[in-house]
Amino acid sequence: MKKMKFYIFILFLSIFTSGILTAQITPEFEIGAKGVVSGNLNINSEESNAVSDFSDTQLLLGLKQKLYNSWRSDFVVGFQFPDANSNLGQVYFNNVFIKVEDQKNIFKIGRSTALTILNEFPTLRDDDAMKFIYTLNPFSNGDNTERDQYANVLEYTRIVKQRILVSLHGENFYNNSSPDDFKLNSMGFALQYKIPESQKWNRNFLQDIGISFNNYFTNNNSIESSLKYLIFSTTLNLKPDPVNFIDFKFQSIYNFGLDEVTNIADYSDYTRSKSTSLFGMIRYIKQKYERLDYQISVGAGYRTFTDTDTDQLIFVGNAFYRLGENFDIGVQYRYIKNNGIAKTLFGESENRVQLAFVYSFDKIFNKQFDDRNSILNLEHKYIK
Amino acid sequence: MKRRDFLTTGAVSTAGMVFFPGNLLSNTAKTENKKRLVQPLAYKMNDGWKEFELYIDIHIHEPAPGYKYHTLAFNDMIPGPEIRVKAGDKVRVKFINKTDLNHTIHWHGMYVPWRMDGVPFVTQLPVMPKNTFIYEFVAEPEGTHFYHCHWGTLMHMQAGMFGSLIVENDDDPVKKRFPYTREYTLVYSSHDTNYVRDEMNGMLERMKQRSYLMKQGRFNHEQWAVFDNKEQLEQSIENGYLPPYATNRRSNSELPQANWFTVNGKSYPSTPYLFIKEKENIRVRLINAGAETHNLHLHGHDFWMVADDGVPLEHPWKRNTVPLAPGKTYDIIIEGKNRGIWTFHDHDVRKVTNNGLYPGGNLLALVYDDLPEDELIITKHSGNPMLNPNAGKKGMKMDMKSGEKNNMKNMLFGDDKLPKIALDE
Repeated sequence: MKKMKFYIFILFLSIFTSGILTAQITPEFEIGAKGVVSGNLNINSEESNAVSDFSDTQLLLGLKQKLYNSWRSDFVVGFQFPDANSNLGQVYFNNVFIKVEDQKNIFKIGRSTALTILNEFPTLRDDDAMKFIYTLNPFSNGDNTERDQYANVLEYTRIVKQRILVSLHGENFYNNSSPDDFKLNSMGFALQYKIPESQKWNRNFLQDIGISFNNYFTNNNSIESSLKYLIFSTTLNLKPDPVNFIDFKFQSIYNFGLDEVTNIADYSDYTRSKSTSLFGMIRYIKQKYERLDYQISVGAGYRTFTDTDTDQLIFVGNAFYRLGENFDIGVQYRYIKNNGIAKTLFGESENRVQLAFVYSFDKIFNKQFDDRNSILNLEHKYIK
Repeated sequence: MKRRDFLTTGAVSTAGMVFFPGNLLSNTAKTENKKRLVQPLAYKMNDGWKEFELYIDIHIHEPAPGYKYHTLAFNDMIPGPEIRVKAGDKVRVKFINKTDLNHTIHWHGMYVPWRMDGVPFVTQLPVMPKNTFIYEFVAEPEGTHFYHCHWGTLMHMQAGMFGSLIVENDDDPVKKRFPYTREYTLVYSSHDTNYVRDEMNGMLERMKQRSYLMKQGRFNHEQWAVFDNKEQLEQSIENGYLPPYATNRRSNSELPQANWFTVNGKSYPSTPYLFIKEKENIRVRLINAGAETHNLHLHGHDFWMVADDGVPLEHPWKRNTVPLAPGKTYDIIIEGKNRGIWTFHDHDVRKVTNNGLYPGGNLLALVYDDLPEDELIITKHSGNPMLNPNAGKKGMKMDMKSGEKNNMKNMLFGDDKLPKIALDE
């Protein structure tokens, strides 16, 4: 609550003072919205069925303008509706950050997604394969997924030759045992090769590849005894065709674990145990009349814990059909199997079927300048 | 940022003015002005044909200092180079498309054979990426005309795909009645640079996909939105094809709204000057290659309307404001009868703006190059008694202390000389 007040204070302060000190420059403003509403049927699960589950529905507002000397700034505020049992209240502000960037540098500060995941998988909701695709927050009690996905971040990225991103980042992840602690409790770096969005479909094989190394300071900010993660991620084009497009996304996470954690007694041990996760999804996208028509994805993941006889398995399959611009209907099936101690923590297995409507919208109004990754800026000289 | 840079920036934003040291009457100014005029396109003679070459490519354009955007341009310039021929000449234009977009060239106002008229899917197929098309025609009728792309016209024309085409008549009735030696071509346009950028990015993305499918022989009429007849279109709609106009792909707020207004591709303070001498006639060819009407008004003079759409007028008439509608060309004769520096601009002053800020746009000046330099001195000829003790009738002389005189110097905003360039009034 304190933090919320702080953000609102900053928001009002910036609006108020900018009005006093100078003539207003009307920025670009971006509105992003995603509405996900599903009916959930859970079999063999502790979670109840749901008539209408609208978690992960979110709204994002971004204000962007040119600064002096070719720099640009971005102020983003966004919130989402978390799971009902998340202990986060009705609304969670998942994005409140300022970004300052030029052609080759990006600085980001505020609450945002952390660089503890390097890929985006085509699941109905971002957290559908949570335990397999994120490095889990070792300071969390596991009540919700938002505190694994989002953190108060301080991030710098250098872009080399349009495609190579080198990032240094530090985070303050929410700490359940010390909720008022806003100190840095995580650091890491990432190296990624990424094809710009507009060119992804026509690359022969490689869309992106990257590694990331992360430290969670679980022991008095000591790097030597910190919890370390190594992430590897890639996306490969199996059929680079605009009408029938197939790609394969894969990510593996190696958790070096803490030496003192040799048994998994609770969620904290679960996040701090030595483990390896593998997750991959194949996606087929059909385009008709230069518009998206439907998409089918199947994926599977496996997580094993070295020091205990524990492993987990996941299978996800989904299909989305475009009913109209921005609007899809979809169905997703997910199966999770837990063995060993994971069975005690999360139940033996779960079958979940979801029928969903998804509305997604992202538009920039009052446009004034181009994006770094536009074809014009990429192929016909960047305009500052 | 260095402290010095900061102070400079601060001074600009406080005073709202930028001073350009140039003297309009100097030779340097005249040489520099040539870059602001349309550039002639050279030709080669080949078996009785005048052969020209035009290519189109993506270009970074700077309509005024400090603002750049991606656009299309013939031969890397906006407007495209001027094609100037004699009536009756046989003209061959080799058009090379260097972009990944489709284009054609339409010869506006010309009596070309219909298969040379440049209308895609009516008189020809579009000139595809990296393709060439040879246009051939006999130059007629005489007068001021222009050429422009006729593919995606809404975007491609405001993106800069236009240029002047002048067909000269050796027995020109205008020249007979108003003898002149100097003439100017002014090509007007208006641009929504944000729309241009967005559309170009979108089209380039789509064209990459289309080219890929075309190479594989998988591109069909529905994907290209091109149909042999109405029945075929209706059949496609039955099968699930949605015409682009059937969905709200572009809301009203996204329709092009021009934010830059140019003359010869430039906006004030980069617009060209029209030089004239006392007792001299100059001919000015006005072309509107944009989609907005420009109500052009000349200060301190009337001018003769001598040609309309290239057609010489039997009975020229005088006026000082002319509405130059989209697609129109007018020829005017200005007589050097009132020496000075006179602005010539759109009287719809929303178009005398750059990115919404006045002054800018198509504001330009008629400059007497035989104007005595003495007349440029502010304090000698100002009507402000505080600047010029001899202003107005005698007896208005103001007594000032020395400190106040220094303050007066500051009010000159730089040198004691006109004209200046003010960017924020």
